[in-house]
Amino acid sequence: MEEFRFLDLCVYNAYKNMAIDEAITLAIKEEEAPPTLRIYRWRPSAVSIGTFQGMTDEVDLKYCRLNKIDYIRRITGGGAVYHDFEGEVTYSLIVPKGHRLAPPDILKSYKIICGGIIEALKQLKIKAKFRPINDVVTDGKKISGNAQTRRNSCVLQHGTTLLDLDVEVMFSILKVPKEKISDKMIQDVKKSVTSIREVLDRHVEVDELGNALEAGFSKALKIDLVPGALMAREWADAQRLMKEKYSTTKWNLSR
Amino acid sequence: MGDSIFKVPGGKLLKIKLTPSEDRIRAIVIKGDFFLYPEETLVALEEFLAGKELDEVTLAADIQDFLDEAGAKLVGAGAADIAKAILMAM
Repeated sequence: MEEFRFLDLCVYNAYKNMAIDEAITLAIKEEEAPPTLRIYRWRPSAVSIGTFQGMTDEVDLKYCRLNKIDYIRRITGGGAVYHDFEGEVTYSLIVPKGHRLAPPDILKSYKIICGGIIEALKQLKIKAKFRPINDVVTDGKKISGNAQTRRNSCVLQHGTTLLDLDVEVMFSILKVPKEKISDKMIQDVKKSVTSIREVLDRHVEVDELGNALEAGFSKALKIDLVPGALMAREWADAQRLMKEKYSTTKWNLSR
Repeated sequence: MGDSIFKVPGGKLLKIKLTPSEDRIRAIVIKGDFFLYPEETLVALEEFLAGKELDEVTLAADIQDFLDEAGAKLVGAGAADIAKAILMAM
């Protein structure tokens, strides 16, 4: 089986997490790093928005500051995601352009890579399927959202898998006019989004999901995950990107 | 100055901030949860649209031509959806 570098479950803040993802694409572009899968969490909890979204349109920054929730713009499109430290696990899969897992047909590549999430959920006894464009659903409810960019001669796809869901907190972070947050809206979200703990009705640990993602990606994508670490140049690029891009108002509030 | 929010049927959300000048676009910002590859194409598209006439059919064709020439792929919305959202912001 093809070998991928595997960066096992680790915890960083939002700026470092997004900087690491981009740093890996730079190293792969220079053919210094192999295709990579990383699994990670966000501490402090953070909200990430799609690259084309308006930060102040989508996020209640005052609420975030008061509650020590970071906010960041991704390099990928898609929507706003709340990365609750206790309630989700994120993955990033980065391969060079032209790799078999990332065909030119974008929807096809979403489907292929999301196969890893579907297999991970299967390992947890949850039956899920891909829902175009970029979601994984179980029983019609979204349980994982994914986003992809193609740059630096790479395809990078990252995504969240929900362990838990606090709709009230989500609505506090995302900019929905407070007077519009009706019980009905909360019920509507509960009908369209779910989490692993809700589906299984038990306390699934973060590590259990992490292990399922590792096994799921390996099996579905037919890749051998070899434990590894970031190289010195990736750390250096990540530090630079964190300082010069991802932690800056210029980037995060650019739209 | 006008705003619009358009949920593309079966697709993503488009949010337009339009500054018109008579019957033309003076400036425009296109936001939303759609995907566009390469991403840098969006700023170029916004610049390209400045000065264009606010006519939905013409705009849709111009946007499509621009994306084709740039070799860009829009996912979750189409050129016609952007044109429609722009007109909604008038």
